[in-house]
Amino acid sequence: MPNQRAWSVLGSLSLLGLAACGGADGPQQSQNVEQSTGKASLLATACSGCHSDVSTGIASLQGYSVEALQLSLSNYKSDAEGTTVMHRLARGYSETDIALISQYLGAEDLE
Amino acid sequence: MKSPIISRRGLIQTGLLGLGGLALPLNALSQSNASIVIVGGGFGGASAGRTLKDLLPSAEITLIEANANYTACPFSNLVIATERPLSAQEFSYDRLQAAGISIISARATSVDASGQIVELQDGSQVPYDRLILSPGVDMRWGALEGYSQEAAERHPHAWKAGAQTQLLRDQLVALEDGENVVMTVPPAPYRCPPGPYERASMIAHYLKTNRPRSKLIILDAKDSFSKMALFQEAWAEHYPDHLEWRGALDDGAVSRVDANLKTVYTDFDELSAAVINVIPPQKAGQIADAAGVSDQTGWCPIDPLSFESKLQPKVHVIGDATIAAPMPKSAFSANLQAKVCAFAVARLLSDLEPIATTLANTCYSYTTPDEAISIAGVYSNVGGQLSSVSGAGGVSPLNGDKAVRQAEAAQAAHWFQTITNEAFG
Ligand SMILES: Cc1cc2nc3c(=O)[nH]c(=O)nc-3n(C[C@H](O)[C@H](O)[C@H](O)COP(=O)(O)OP(=O)(O)OC[C@H]3O[C@@H](n4cnc5c(N)ncnc54)[C@H](O)[C@@H]3O)c2cc1C
Repeated sequence: MPNQRAWSVLGSLSLLGLAACGGADGPQQSQNVEQSTGKASLLATACSGCHSDVSTGIASLQGYSVEALQLSLSNYKSDAEGTTVMHRLARGYSETDIALISQYLGAEDLE
Repeated sequence: MKSPIISRRGLIQTGLLGLGGLALPLNALSQSNASIVIVGGGFGGASAGRTLKDLLPSAEITLIEANANYTACPFSNLVIATERPLSAQEFSYDRLQAAGISIISARATSVDASGQIVELQDGSQVPYDRLILSPGVDMRWGALEGYSQEAAERHPHAWKAGAQTQLLRDQLVALEDGENVVMTVPPAPYRCPPGPYERASMIAHYLKTNRPRSKLIILDAKDSFSKMALFQEAWAEHYPDHLEWRGALDDGAVSRVDANLKTVYTDFDELSAAVINVIPPQKAGQIADAAGVSDQTGWCPIDPLSFESKLQPKVHVIGDATIAAPMPKSAFSANLQAKVCAFAVARLLSDLEPIATTLANTCYSYTTPDEAISIAGVYSNVGGQLSSVSGAGGVSPLNGDKAVRQAEAAQAAHWFQTITNEAFG
Protein backbone atom coordinates (compact mmCIF):
# COMPACT_ATOMS: atom_id res chain seq x y z
CA MET A 1 0.00 0.00 0.00
CA PRO A 2 1.29 3.49 -0.67
CA ASN A 3 1.95 5.99 2.06
CA GLN A 4 -1.26 5.98 4.00
CA ARG A 5 -0.80 9.22 5.81
CA ALA A 6 -3.24 11.97 5.20
CA TRP A 7 -3.84 13.33 1.79
CA SER A 8 -3.01 16.84 2.93
CA VAL A 9 0.62 15.91 3.06
CA LEU A 10 0.26 13.85 -0.07
CA GLY A 11 -1.07 17.01 -1.64
CA SER A 12 2.14 18.78 -0.80
CA LEU A 13 4.11 15.82 -2.06
CA SER A 14 2.44 15.86 -5.42
CA LEU A 15 3.49 19.48 -5.68
CA LEU A 16 6.98 18.40 -4.82
CA GLY A 17 6.89 16.08 -7.78
CA LEU A 18 7.71 19.24 -9.67
CA ALA A 19 11.01 19.52 -7.96
CA ALA A 20 12.62 16.74 -9.93
CA CYS A 21 13.55 18.98 -12.84
CA GLY A 22 16.08 20.92 -10.80
CA GLY A 23 17.11 24.53 -11.12
CA ALA A 24 18.30 27.51 -9.17
CA ASP A 25 17.16 29.06 -5.93
CA GLY A 26 15.69 32.52 -5.95
CA PRO A 27 12.26 33.80 -6.86
CA GLN A 28 11.15 30.36 -8.01
CA GLN A 29 11.82 28.97 -4.57
CA SER A 30 9.38 31.37 -3.00
CA GLN A 31 6.85 30.61 -5.68
CA ASN A 32 7.03 26.89 -5.07
CA VAL A 33 6.69 27.23 -1.30
CA GLU A 34 3.90 29.72 -1.83
CA GLN A 35 2.01 27.00 -3.66
CA SER A 36 2.61 24.04 -1.36
CA THR A 37 2.05 25.96 1.83
CA GLY A 38 -0.65 28.31 0.58
CA LYS A 39 -4.06 29.11 1.95
CA ALA A 40 -5.94 26.09 0.58
CA SER A 41 -3.54 23.41 1.78
CA LEU A 42 -3.19 25.16 5.13
CA LEU A 43 -6.97 25.23 5.61
CA ALA A 44 -7.34 21.62 4.47
CA THR A 45 -4.67 20.32 6.81
CA ALA A 46 -7.12 20.81 9.70
CA CYS A 47 -9.19 17.91 8.27
CA SER A 48 -6.27 15.49 8.44
CA GLY A 49 -6.43 15.04 12.22
CA CYS A 50 -9.54 12.85 11.77
CA HIS A 51 -9.91 11.91 8.10
CA SER A 52 -7.47 9.46 6.59
CA ASP A 53 -7.35 6.15 4.80
CA VAL A 54 -6.16 4.16 7.79
CA SER A 55 -9.53 4.17 9.41
CA THR A 56 -12.90 3.59 7.85
CA GLY A 57 -15.07 4.73 10.75
CA ILE A 58 -14.53 8.37 9.88
CA ALA A 59 -14.93 8.78 6.13
CA SER A 60 -11.85 8.96 3.96
CA LEU A 61 -12.06 12.05 1.77
CA GLN A 62 -10.30 10.41 -1.15
CA GLY A 63 -12.19 10.06 -4.38
CA TYR A 64 -14.86 12.73 -3.97
CA SER A 65 -15.41 15.38 -6.60
CA VAL A 66 -14.92 19.04 -5.73
CA GLU A 67 -18.65 19.59 -6.12
CA ALA A 68 -19.56 16.73 -3.80
CA LEU A 69 -17.23 17.95 -1.08
CA GLN A 70 -18.41 21.53 -1.39
CA LEU A 71 -22.07 20.55 -1.27
CA SER A 72 -21.52 18.33 1.73
CA LEU A 73 -19.57 20.94 3.70
CA SER A 74 -22.10 23.66 2.83
CA ASN A 75 -24.93 21.41 3.97
CA TYR A 76 -23.22 20.79 7.29
CA LYS A 77 -22.67 24.53 7.67
CA SER A 78 -26.24 25.58 6.90
CA ASP A 79 -28.10 22.82 8.78
CA ALA A 80 -29.03 24.74 11.93
CA GLU A 81 -30.41 21.61 13.63
CA GLY A 82 -27.36 19.44 13.09
CA THR A 83 -25.45 18.28 16.16
CA THR A 84 -22.65 16.09 14.81
CA VAL A 85 -19.01 17.08 15.14
CA MET A 86 -18.97 18.01 11.44
CA HIS A 87 -21.97 20.34 11.86
CA ARG A 88 -20.26 22.06 14.77
CA LEU A 89 -16.99 22.44 12.85
CA ALA A 90 -18.39 23.45 9.46
CA ARG A 91 -20.15 26.47 11.02
CA GLY A 92 -16.70 27.97 11.61
CA TYR A 93 -15.79 28.08 7.92
CA SER A 94 -16.85 30.67 5.34
CA GLU A 95 -18.21 29.60 1.96
CA THR A 96 -14.91 30.84 0.49
CA ASP A 97 -12.98 28.59 2.87
CA ILE A 98 -15.24 25.68 1.96
CA ALA A 99 -14.63 26.27 -1.75
CA LEU A 100 -10.86 26.41 -1.23
CA ILE A 101 -10.81 23.24 0.87
CA SER A 102 -13.02 21.39 -1.63
CA GLN A 103 -10.90 22.44 -4.57
CA TYR A 104 -7.78 21.36 -2.75
CA LEU A 105 -9.10 17.98 -1.67
CA GLY A 106 -11.39 17.18 -4.56
CA ALA A 107 -10.37 14.29 -6.78
CA GLU A 108 -8.62 15.29 -9.95
CA ASP A 109 -10.38 13.24 -12.57
CA LEU A 110 -13.68 11.63 -11.86
CA GLU A 111 -14.98 11.67 -15.39
CA MET B 1 -1.51 40.04 -2.17
CA LYS B 2 -4.81 38.34 -2.69
CA SER B 3 -3.73 34.79 -3.22
CA PRO B 4 -5.15 32.83 -6.11
CA ILE B 5 -6.80 29.49 -5.51
CA ILE B 6 -4.00 27.04 -5.04
CA SER B 7 -5.08 23.47 -5.17
CA ARG B 8 -3.86 20.18 -6.41
CA ARG B 9 -6.72 20.19 -8.86
CA GLY B 10 -6.13 23.77 -9.85
CA LEU B 11 -2.49 23.08 -10.53
CA ILE B 12 -3.31 20.06 -12.58
CA GLN B 13 -5.89 21.98 -14.56
CA THR B 14 -3.43 24.72 -15.33
CA GLY B 15 -0.89 22.11 -16.30
CA LEU B 16 1.54 22.99 -13.56
CA LEU B 17 1.68 19.47 -12.29
CA GLY B 18 2.35 17.97 -15.69
CA LEU B 19 5.98 18.42 -16.54
CA GLY B 20 5.07 19.45 -20.08
CA GLY B 21 3.27 22.54 -18.90
CA LEU B 22 5.99 23.49 -16.50
CA ALA B 23 7.92 26.52 -17.58
CA LEU B 24 9.68 27.28 -14.29
CA PRO B 25 12.22 25.02 -12.65
CA LEU B 26 10.47 24.85 -9.31
CA ASN B 27 12.88 23.08 -7.05
CA ALA B 28 12.97 25.17 -3.98
CA LEU B 29 11.43 23.05 -1.30
CA SER B 30 13.48 20.00 -2.09
CA GLN B 31 16.64 22.12 -2.29
CA SER B 32 16.34 23.71 1.13
CA ASN B 33 19.06 22.09 3.21
CA ALA B 34 18.32 24.04 6.32
CA SER B 35 18.81 22.28 9.63
CA ILE B 36 15.63 22.04 11.65
CA VAL B 37 15.79 20.60 15.16
CA ILE B 38 12.74 19.44 17.10
CA VAL B 39 12.78 18.75 20.84
CA GLY B 40 10.05 16.35 22.02
CA GLY B 41 8.64 13.47 19.99
CA GLY B 42 5.04 13.54 21.19
CA PHE B 43 1.93 14.43 19.19
CA GLY B 44 3.35 17.88 18.40
CA GLY B 45 7.01 17.11 17.72
CA ALA B 46 6.53 13.87 15.76
CA SER B 47 3.84 15.49 13.57
CA ALA B 48 6.05 18.52 12.95
CA GLY B 49 8.95 16.29 11.92
CA ARG B 50 6.87 14.32 9.44
CA THR B 51 5.25 17.35 7.88
CA LEU B 52 8.58 19.14 7.51
CA LYS B 53 10.22 16.09 5.96
CA ASP B 54 7.40 15.99 3.40
CA LEU B 55 7.63 19.72 2.68
CA LEU B 56 11.42 20.01 2.73
CA PRO B 57 12.88 16.64 1.68
CA SER B 58 16.44 17.97 1.54
CA ALA B 59 16.35 19.71 4.87
CA GLU B 60 18.06 18.07 7.79
CA ILE B 61 15.34 17.22 10.30
CA THR B 62 16.51 16.08 13.74
CA LEU B 63 14.18 14.95 16.49
CA ILE B 64 15.54 14.92 20.04
CA GLU B 65 13.44 12.72 22.33
CA ALA B 66 14.27 11.60 25.87
CA ASN B 67 12.37 8.29 25.74
CA ALA B 68 13.04 5.34 23.43
CA ASN B 69 9.29 4.94 22.78
CA TYR B 70 6.27 7.20 23.08
CA THR B 71 3.37 6.33 25.37
CA ALA B 72 0.19 8.18 24.41
CA CYS B 73 -2.15 9.75 26.97
CA PRO B 74 -5.37 9.73 24.91
CA PHE B 75 -7.22 6.48 25.70
CA SER B 76 -4.98 5.87 28.76
CA ASN B 77 -8.05 6.38 30.98
CA LEU B 78 -9.43 3.17 29.45
CA VAL B 79 -6.16 1.45 30.41
CA ILE B 80 -6.61 2.54 34.03
CA ALA B 81 -10.09 1.01 34.04
CA THR B 82 -8.61 -2.28 32.68
CA GLU B 83 -10.55 -1.87 29.43
CA ARG B 84 -7.41 -1.67 27.29
CA PRO B 85 -3.78 -2.86 27.51
CA LEU B 86 -1.04 -0.28 28.11
CA SER B 87 0.80 -1.71 25.08
CA ALA B 88 -1.95 -0.23 22.85
CA GLN B 89 -0.64 3.21 23.91
CA GLU B 90 2.96 2.62 22.84
CA PHE B 91 4.52 3.87 19.60
CA SER B 92 8.06 3.65 18.25
CA TYR B 93 10.06 6.16 16.25
CA ASP B 94 11.07 3.58 13.62
CA ARG B 95 8.81 4.96 10.93
CA LEU B 96 10.06 8.51 11.46
CA GLN B 97 13.61 7.28 11.14
CA ALA B 98 12.69 5.35 7.99
CA ALA B 99 11.24 8.60 6.59
CA GLY B 100 14.68 10.21 6.89
CA ILE B 101 14.30 12.02 10.20
CA SER B 102 17.37 11.72 12.45
CA ILE B 103 16.35 10.59 15.91
CA ILE B 104 18.57 11.52 18.83
CA SER B 105 17.59 9.51 21.89
CA ALA B 106 18.61 11.95 24.61
CA ARG B 107 17.30 14.67 26.87
CA ALA B 108 17.90 18.24 25.75
CA THR B 109 19.14 20.24 28.73
CA SER B 110 19.56 23.77 27.43
CA VAL B 111 19.16 26.02 24.43
CA ASP B 112 21.44 28.88 23.44
CA ALA B 113 18.96 30.88 21.40
CA SER B 114 21.45 33.52 20.28
CA GLY B 115 24.02 30.91 19.23
CA GLN B 116 21.24 28.67 17.80
CA ILE B 117 22.45 25.55 19.60
CA VAL B 118 20.67 22.86 21.63
CA GLU B 119 22.73 21.16 24.31
CA LEU B 120 22.13 17.55 25.32
CA GLN B 121 22.54 15.82 28.66
CA ASP B 122 25.89 14.31 27.61
CA GLY B 123 27.21 17.78 26.77
CA SER B 124 27.04 17.40 23.01
CA GLN B 125 25.67 20.26 20.94
CA VAL B 126 23.17 20.31 18.11
CA PRO B 127 23.10 23.49 15.99
CA TYR B 128 19.91 24.60 14.22
CA ASP B 129 18.57 27.12 11.71
CA ARG B 130 15.09 26.78 13.22
CA LEU B 131 14.16 25.06 16.48
CA ILE B 132 10.73 23.63 17.31
CA LEU B 133 9.99 22.80 20.95
CA SER B 134 7.11 20.43 21.76
CA PRO B 135 8.06 19.31 25.27
CA GLY B 136 4.52 18.88 26.60
CA VAL B 137 3.99 19.59 30.29
CA ASP B 138 5.93 19.14 33.48
CA MET B 139 4.37 18.95 36.93
CA ARG B 140 4.85 21.96 39.19
CA TRP B 141 6.28 19.92 42.04
CA GLY B 142 5.57 21.59 45.35
CA ALA B 143 2.86 23.91 44.01
CA LEU B 144 0.45 21.64 45.85
CA GLU B 145 1.97 21.30 49.31
CA GLY B 146 3.26 17.80 49.97
CA TYR B 147 3.02 16.62 46.37
CA SER B 148 6.56 15.86 45.23
CA GLN B 149 8.05 13.42 42.75
CA GLU B 150 8.40 10.91 45.62
CA ALA B 151 4.78 11.42 46.64
CA ALA B 152 3.77 10.67 43.04
CA GLU B 153 5.20 7.17 43.47
CA ARG B 154 2.50 6.56 46.09
CA HIS B 155 -0.25 8.76 44.73
CA PRO B 156 0.18 8.70 40.97
CA HIS B 157 -0.82 11.61 38.76
CA ALA B 158 -0.91 9.36 35.67
CA TRP B 159 -0.97 12.62 33.69
CA LYS B 160 2.01 11.43 31.66
CA ALA B 161 1.31 8.00 30.29
CA GLY B 162 3.50 4.97 31.03
CA ALA B 163 4.66 3.76 34.44
CA GLN B 164 2.30 6.22 36.17
CA THR B 165 -0.68 4.83 34.24
CA GLN B 166 0.28 1.29 35.21
CA LEU B 167 0.69 2.30 38.86
CA LEU B 168 -2.78 3.82 39.10
CA ARG B 169 -4.30 0.82 37.35
CA ASP B 170 -2.52 -1.59 39.73
CA GLN B 171 -3.70 0.40 42.75
CA LEU B 172 -7.27 0.34 41.49
CA VAL B 173 -7.12 -3.41 40.92
CA ALA B 174 -5.70 -3.91 44.45
CA LEU B 175 -8.50 -1.88 46.07
CA GLU B 176 -10.66 -3.76 48.58
CA ASP B 177 -14.39 -3.53 48.03
CA GLY B 178 -15.68 -0.70 50.22
CA GLU B 179 -12.44 1.32 50.14
CA ASN B 180 -12.66 4.68 48.40
CA VAL B 181 -10.75 6.44 45.64
CA VAL B 182 -10.03 10.19 45.66
CA MET B 183 -9.06 12.23 42.60
CA THR B 184 -7.89 15.84 42.87
CA VAL B 185 -8.19 18.26 39.93
CA PRO B 186 -6.11 21.46 39.64
CA PRO B 187 -7.18 24.91 38.46
CA ALA B 188 -6.94 25.58 34.70
CA PRO B 189 -4.87 25.60 32.58
CA TYR B 190 -3.70 21.99 32.47
CA ARG B 191 -3.26 19.29 29.83
CA CYS B 192 -6.57 17.95 28.43
CA PRO B 193 -9.38 19.96 30.09
CA PRO B 194 -12.00 17.14 29.97
CA GLY B 195 -9.42 14.44 30.82
CA PRO B 196 -10.07 14.26 34.61
CA TYR B 197 -13.80 13.76 34.05
CA GLU B 198 -13.30 11.05 31.46
CA ARG B 199 -10.97 9.35 33.94
CA ALA B 200 -13.55 9.76 36.71
CA SER B 201 -16.15 8.09 34.48
CA MET B 202 -13.81 5.19 33.74
CA ILE B 203 -12.85 4.71 37.40
CA ALA B 204 -16.53 4.86 38.43
CA HIS B 205 -17.32 2.27 35.77
CA TYR B 206 -14.59 0.01 37.16
CA LEU B 207 -15.89 0.41 40.73
CA LYS B 208 -19.51 -0.16 39.77
CA THR B 209 -18.52 -3.35 37.94
CA ASN B 210 -15.82 -4.74 40.25
CA ARG B 211 -15.96 -2.98 43.65
CA PRO B 212 -19.64 -2.12 44.05
CA ARG B 213 -19.29 -0.88 47.66
CA SER B 214 -16.47 1.52 46.75
CA LYS B 215 -16.83 5.07 45.49
CA LEU B 216 -14.82 7.81 43.75
CA ILE B 217 -14.74 11.31 45.22
CA ILE B 218 -13.49 14.09 42.92
CA LEU B 219 -12.07 17.15 44.68
CA ASP B 220 -12.00 19.94 42.13
CA ALA B 221 -10.37 23.39 42.33
CA LYS B 222 -12.96 24.66 39.82
CA ASP B 223 -16.72 25.12 39.81
CA SER B 224 -17.30 24.29 36.19
CA PHE B 225 -15.51 22.16 33.65
CA SER B 226 -15.42 21.02 30.04
CA LYS B 227 -18.59 19.18 28.87
CA MET B 228 -19.88 19.52 32.47
CA ALA B 229 -23.60 19.13 31.77
CA LEU B 230 -22.96 16.09 29.60
CA PHE B 231 -20.69 14.43 32.13
CA GLN B 232 -23.14 15.11 34.95
CA GLU B 233 -25.97 13.67 32.89
CA ALA B 234 -23.93 10.51 32.26
CA TRP B 235 -22.88 10.27 35.92
CA ALA B 236 -26.48 10.57 37.13
CA GLU B 237 -27.49 7.84 34.73
CA HIS B 238 -24.62 5.40 35.19
CA TYR B 239 -22.82 6.09 38.46
CA PRO B 240 -25.23 7.63 41.01
CA ASP B 241 -23.70 5.50 43.79
CA HIS B 242 -20.11 5.42 42.62
CA LEU B 243 -19.07 8.99 41.86
CA GLU B 244 -19.30 12.21 43.85
CA TRP B 245 -17.98 15.53 42.52
CA ARG B 246 -17.16 18.47 44.80
CA GLY B 247 -16.40 21.82 43.18
CA ALA B 248 -14.55 24.78 44.69
CA LEU B 249 -17.74 26.23 46.21
CA ASP B 250 -18.21 22.89 47.93
CA ASP B 251 -14.76 23.02 49.52
CA GLY B 252 -13.34 20.91 46.70
CA ALA B 253 -10.01 22.71 46.28
CA VAL B 254 -7.18 20.65 47.78
CA SER B 255 -4.38 22.60 49.49
CA ARG B 256 -2.17 19.83 50.86
CA VAL B 257 -1.35 16.18 50.41
CA ASP B 258 0.18 13.93 53.06
CA ALA B 259 1.54 10.92 51.22
CA ASN B 260 2.40 8.99 54.41
CA LEU B 261 -1.07 9.40 55.86
CA LYS B 262 -2.77 8.82 52.50
CA THR B 263 -4.71 11.98 53.20
CA VAL B 264 -5.61 15.14 51.29
CA TYR B 265 -6.66 18.40 52.92
CA THR B 266 -9.08 21.08 51.75
CA ASP B 267 -9.78 24.32 53.63
CA PHE B 268 -12.25 22.70 55.99
CA ASP B 269 -11.95 18.98 55.49
CA GLU B 270 -9.55 16.09 55.24
CA LEU B 271 -10.09 12.89 53.31
CA SER B 272 -8.19 9.63 53.54
CA ALA B 273 -8.50 7.02 50.83
CA ALA B 274 -6.84 3.81 49.73
CA VAL B 275 -6.14 5.24 46.28
CA ILE B 276 -5.43 8.93 45.70
CA ASN B 277 -4.95 10.17 42.14
CA VAL B 278 -3.48 13.66 42.36
CA ILE B 279 -3.61 15.62 39.11
CA PRO B 280 -1.22 18.43 40.06
CA PRO B 281 -0.78 21.95 38.66
CA GLN B 282 1.35 21.95 35.50
CA LYS B 283 3.63 24.13 33.36
CA ALA B 284 5.44 23.93 30.04
CA GLY B 285 8.12 21.21 29.90
CA GLN B 286 11.35 22.29 31.60
CA ILE B 287 13.33 22.85 28.39
CA ALA B 288 11.02 25.80 27.67
CA ASP B 289 12.38 27.55 30.78
CA ALA B 290 15.95 26.67 29.81
CA ALA B 291 15.37 28.12 26.33
CA GLY B 292 13.87 31.32 27.73
CA VAL B 293 10.58 30.86 25.89
CA SER B 294 8.26 30.52 28.92
CA ASP B 295 6.93 33.56 30.78
CA GLN B 296 5.91 34.10 34.41
CA THR B 297 2.81 31.94 33.88
CA GLY B 298 5.05 28.93 33.20
CA TRP B 299 3.68 28.63 29.63
CA CYS B 300 5.00 29.92 26.30
CA PRO B 301 3.65 32.96 24.45
CA ILE B 302 3.70 32.46 20.67
CA ASP B 303 2.86 34.26 17.45
CA PRO B 304 -0.25 32.30 16.39
CA LEU B 305 0.56 32.47 12.65
CA SER B 306 3.90 30.69 12.94
CA PHE B 307 4.04 29.45 16.54
CA GLU B 308 7.36 31.30 16.79
CA SER B 309 8.16 32.28 20.36
CA LYS B 310 7.42 35.87 21.30
CA LEU B 311 10.49 35.76 23.52
CA GLN B 312 13.22 34.16 21.36
CA PRO B 313 13.67 34.41 17.59
CA LYS B 314 13.89 31.23 15.46
CA VAL B 315 12.49 29.12 18.28
CA HIS B 316 8.94 27.82 17.72
CA VAL B 317 6.79 26.24 20.41
CA ILE B 318 3.78 23.98 19.78
CA GLY B 319 1.42 21.77 21.75
CA ASP B 320 0.66 21.74 25.46
CA ALA B 321 3.58 24.05 26.30
CA THR B 322 2.05 27.04 24.48
CA ILE B 323 -0.35 29.77 25.51
CA ALA B 324 -2.89 29.06 22.78
CA ALA B 325 -6.20 29.46 24.62
CA PRO B 326 -8.99 29.19 23.60
CA MET B 327 -7.41 26.20 21.83
CA PRO B 328 -7.22 23.47 24.46
CA LYS B 329 -4.11 21.51 25.36
CA SER B 330 -4.96 18.38 23.39
CA ALA B 331 -3.28 15.89 21.09
CA PHE B 332 -5.56 17.13 18.31
CA SER B 333 -4.38 20.72 18.88
CA ALA B 334 -0.72 19.68 19.12
CA ASN B 335 -0.92 17.79 15.81
CA LEU B 336 -2.58 20.65 13.95
CA GLN B 337 -0.35 23.31 15.50
CA ALA B 338 2.61 21.18 14.38
CA LYS B 339 1.37 21.23 10.80
CA VAL B 340 0.62 24.96 10.81
CA CYS B 341 4.06 25.59 12.34
CA ALA B 342 5.77 23.34 9.77
CA PHE B 343 4.10 25.22 6.91
CA ALA B 344 5.21 28.52 8.45
CA VAL B 345 8.79 27.32 8.92
CA ALA B 346 8.92 26.20 5.26
CA ARG B 347 7.71 29.67 4.26
CA LEU B 348 10.10 31.52 6.56
CA LEU B 349 13.03 29.53 5.17
CA SER B 350 11.96 30.78 1.74
CA ASP B 351 11.59 34.41 2.82
CA LEU B 352 7.80 34.24 2.74
CA GLU B 353 5.55 35.53 5.48
CA PRO B 354 3.42 32.98 7.34
CA ILE B 355 -0.26 33.32 6.45
CA ALA B 356 -3.46 33.23 8.47
CA THR B 357 -5.67 30.16 8.62
CA THR B 358 -8.53 28.53 10.49
CA LEU B 359 -7.67 25.94 13.12
CA ALA B 360 -9.92 23.39 14.78
CA ASN B 361 -10.06 20.93 17.64
CA THR B 362 -12.19 17.93 18.51
CA CYS B 363 -11.89 16.02 21.79
CA TYR B 364 -13.89 12.91 22.60
CA SER B 365 -14.38 11.63 26.15
CA TYR B 366 -15.66 8.22 27.12
CA THR B 367 -18.44 8.16 29.73
CA THR B 368 -18.76 4.35 29.64
CA PRO B 369 -16.51 1.92 27.76
CA ASP B 370 -18.79 2.12 24.72
CA GLU B 371 -20.27 5.62 24.93
CA ALA B 372 -18.56 8.98 24.37
CA ILE B 373 -19.30 12.71 24.18
CA SER B 374 -17.39 15.34 22.26
CA ILE B 375 -16.42 18.99 22.18
CA ALA B 376 -15.36 20.81 19.02
CA GLY B 377 -13.95 24.29 18.43
CA VAL B 378 -12.91 26.41 15.46
CA TYR B 379 -10.24 29.09 15.86
CA SER B 380 -8.89 32.02 13.88
CA ASN B 381 -5.25 33.10 14.16
CA VAL B 382 -5.56 36.59 12.69
CA GLY B 383 -4.89 39.76 14.68
CA GLY B 384 -2.01 38.37 16.73
CA GLN B 385 -4.10 35.97 18.78
CA LEU B 386 -6.07 32.77 18.64
CA SER B 387 -9.79 33.36 19.03
CA SER B 388 -12.89 31.18 18.79
CA VAL B 389 -14.92 31.62 15.62
CA SER B 390 -18.33 32.64 16.90
CA GLY B 391 -21.30 30.46 16.07
CA ALA B 392 -19.10 27.40 15.62
CA GLY B 393 -18.04 24.54 17.87
CA GLY B 394 -19.78 23.22 20.94
CA VAL B 395 -20.60 19.91 22.56
CA SER B 396 -22.70 16.82 21.83
CA PRO B 397 -26.44 17.20 22.40
CA LEU B 398 -27.81 16.66 25.92
CA ASN B 399 -30.30 13.79 26.23
CA GLY B 400 -28.59 12.17 23.26
CA ASP B 401 -29.67 8.68 22.25
CA LYS B 402 -27.46 5.81 23.25
CA ALA B 403 -26.86 5.38 19.52
CA VAL B 404 -25.42 8.92 19.31
CA ARG B 405 -23.12 8.21 22.27
CA GLN B 406 -22.02 4.92 20.73
CA ALA B 407 -21.37 6.55 17.38
CA GLU B 408 -19.12 9.12 19.06
CA ALA B 409 -17.29 6.32 20.90
CA ALA B 410 -16.62 4.66 17.55
CA GLN B 411 -15.45 7.99 16.08
CA ALA B 412 -13.12 8.43 19.04
CA ALA B 413 -11.45 5.09 18.35
CA HIS B 414 -11.03 5.97 14.69
CA TRP B 415 -9.67 9.40 15.59
CA PHE B 416 -7.02 7.74 17.80
CA GLN B 417 -5.98 5.48 14.93
CA THR B 418 -5.65 8.43 12.56
CA ILE B 419 -3.87 10.84 14.89
CA THR B 420 -1.32 8.26 16.02
CA ASN B 421 -0.75 7.28 12.39
CA GLU B 422 -0.24 10.95 11.47
CA ALA B 423 2.42 11.26 14.16
CA PHE B 424 4.09 7.84 14.29
CA GLY B 425 2.67 5.62 11.53
C1 LIG C 1 -5.46 11.19 30.71
C2 LIG C 1 -5.30 12.00 29.45
C3 LIG C 1 -6.19 11.82 28.41
C4 LIG C 1 -6.05 12.57 27.23
N1 LIG C 1 -6.96 12.38 26.23
C5 LIG C 1 -6.88 13.12 25.10
C6 LIG C 1 -7.83 12.94 24.05
O1 LIG C 1 -8.73 12.11 24.13
N2 LIG C 1 -7.71 13.72 22.96
C7 LIG C 1 -6.72 14.64 22.82
O2 LIG C 1 -6.68 15.31 21.80
N3 LIG C 1 -5.80 14.84 23.82
C8 LIG C 1 -5.86 14.10 24.94
N4 LIG C 1 -4.93 14.28 25.95
C9 LIG C 1 -3.92 15.36 25.81
C10 LIG C 1 -2.68 14.96 25.01
O3 LIG C 1 -2.06 13.84 25.56
C11 LIG C 1 -1.68 16.11 24.99
O4 LIG C 1 -2.34 17.31 24.71
C12 LIG C 1 -0.59 15.88 23.94
O5 LIG C 1 0.18 14.76 24.30
C13 LIG C 1 0.29 17.12 23.75
O6 LIG C 1 1.32 16.87 22.83
P1 LIG C 1 2.74 17.58 23.03
O7 LIG C 1 3.53 17.24 21.82
O8 LIG C 1 2.55 18.99 23.41
O9 LIG C 1 3.36 16.86 24.32
P2 LIG C 1 3.66 15.30 24.58
O10 LIG C 1 2.78 14.45 23.76
O11 LIG C 1 3.65 15.12 26.04
O12 LIG C 1 5.13 15.09 24.05
C14 LIG C 1 6.23 15.67 24.66
C15 LIG C 1 7.45 14.81 24.39
O13 LIG C 1 8.63 15.57 24.62
C16 LIG C 1 9.58 14.79 25.29
N5 LIG C 1 10.45 15.73 26.00
C17 LIG C 1 10.10 16.69 26.89
N6 LIG C 1 11.16 17.41 27.28
C18 LIG C 1 12.22 16.90 26.60
C19 LIG C 1 13.62 17.23 26.58
N7 LIG C 1 14.12 18.21 27.34
N8 LIG C 1 14.43 16.50 25.77
C20 LIG C 1 13.94 15.49 25.01
N9 LIG C 1 12.63 15.14 25.00
C21 LIG C 1 11.78 15.84 25.79
C22 LIG C 1 8.75 13.87 26.18
O14 LIG C 1 9.47 12.71 26.53
C23 LIG C 1 7.55 13.59 25.29
O15 LIG C 1 7.75 12.43 24.50
C24 LIG C 1 -5.02 13.53 27.12
C25 LIG C 1 -4.13 13.70 28.17
C26 LIG C 1 -4.26 12.95 29.33
C27 LIG C 1 -3.29 13.15 30.45
